[in-house]
Amino acid sequence: MADLATRDKWNKAAATLDLMSGRGEMERWLPFKSRLFGNMEPGKILFASLGTGLDISAFPPGMTITAIDISPEMLKRAQPRVEGYPGEIRPELTDIHDMPYPDGHFDQVFTSCTFCSVPEPVAALKALNRVLKPGGRLYMFEHTGSRYFPFKYMLDLMTAMSRKIGPEMHRTTVANVKAAGFEVTEVDNLFLDIVKTIKAVKPQN
Amino acid sequence: MDHRLYFIFGDLVSNMVAGILIALCAALLVGTGWNMFVAMIVMMALGMILCLFLSLALGILFGAMEIMVPVMLTGMFSGMISGMWLAMAEAPVLSLIWLGATTGLVITCVIWLVNAALRGVSTAELN
Repeated sequence: MADLATRDKWNKAAATLDLMSGRGEMERWLPFKSRLFGNMEPGKILFASLGTGLDISAFPPGMTITAIDISPEMLKRAQPRVEGYPGEIRPELTDIHDMPYPDGHFDQVFTSCTFCSVPEPVAALKALNRVLKPGGRLYMFEHTGSRYFPFKYMLDLMTAMSRKIGPEMHRTTVANVKAAGFEVTEVDNLFLDIVKTIKAVKPQN
Repeated sequence: MDHRLYFIFGDLVSNMVAGILIALCAALLVGTGWNMFVAMIVMMALGMILCLFLSLALGILFGAMEIMVPVMLTGMFSGMISGMWLAMAEAPVLSLIWLGATTGLVITCVIWLVNAALRGVSTAELN
């Protein structure tokens, strides 16, 4: 069953997402995202969450990608970017906590600023673990909380103000990935220990 | 740090502007009758919160977390220092502008240094 409160929150955020993230943030992060998404290989790829499709410009060409999002408004705004991609992107309106795919369906899973936004991060990561093949790889571009003073407390303050209308800034995403049953193979800090890429693998057994 | 000139310039200008604005806000709010400790705490909190909102606007041009975190820190320090100063004595506007700009410059440099220490592949969270 869809989480209507989360859907409503992100439907509202869709109108301003391109303005807030489209220039500074996207240009700043594009080289890192292009490098991470360069790990896409032919096969079944899941991308969560598509948003307005800003990340599509960092995808390598020629892939077949199932791209999910909980918000119909986001997917509507993503459509021109989906159509412009030199490959195949299948946008699907799906709650990451309750995906309709069979176990072990995907070869690779990619996320981009997803786990600041989902209400139940460990449950959502367990859902990704379920749909990923044993030995399949998870690649994440995320901003997280910090382990260091004073950044940790600043991110707590930001979260208190942002969580109603947008993302949470203090998530412990690396620990959540491990708690969901993945083996974390690499954490690459891009800005302090806040913006990072995370690579993980689903164990064979 | 980001090596692209646009973002180096953006980081620097964002922090200097934030520092100046908060120092000028302190001049509007804090007077010599204030207790210095109260002025410091009030302007520290106000500087950080005002800069959170300012960083949303600056972030449109220069990036999200890379702007938010240093700009909030600049607001906090600029507010603290200017609040204490204004509680002790009257300060010329030009001096407050210099104070805010210098705070922004120093925080930018500190963040660059801390970032240089923390960025890259980390084993700290692997185990």
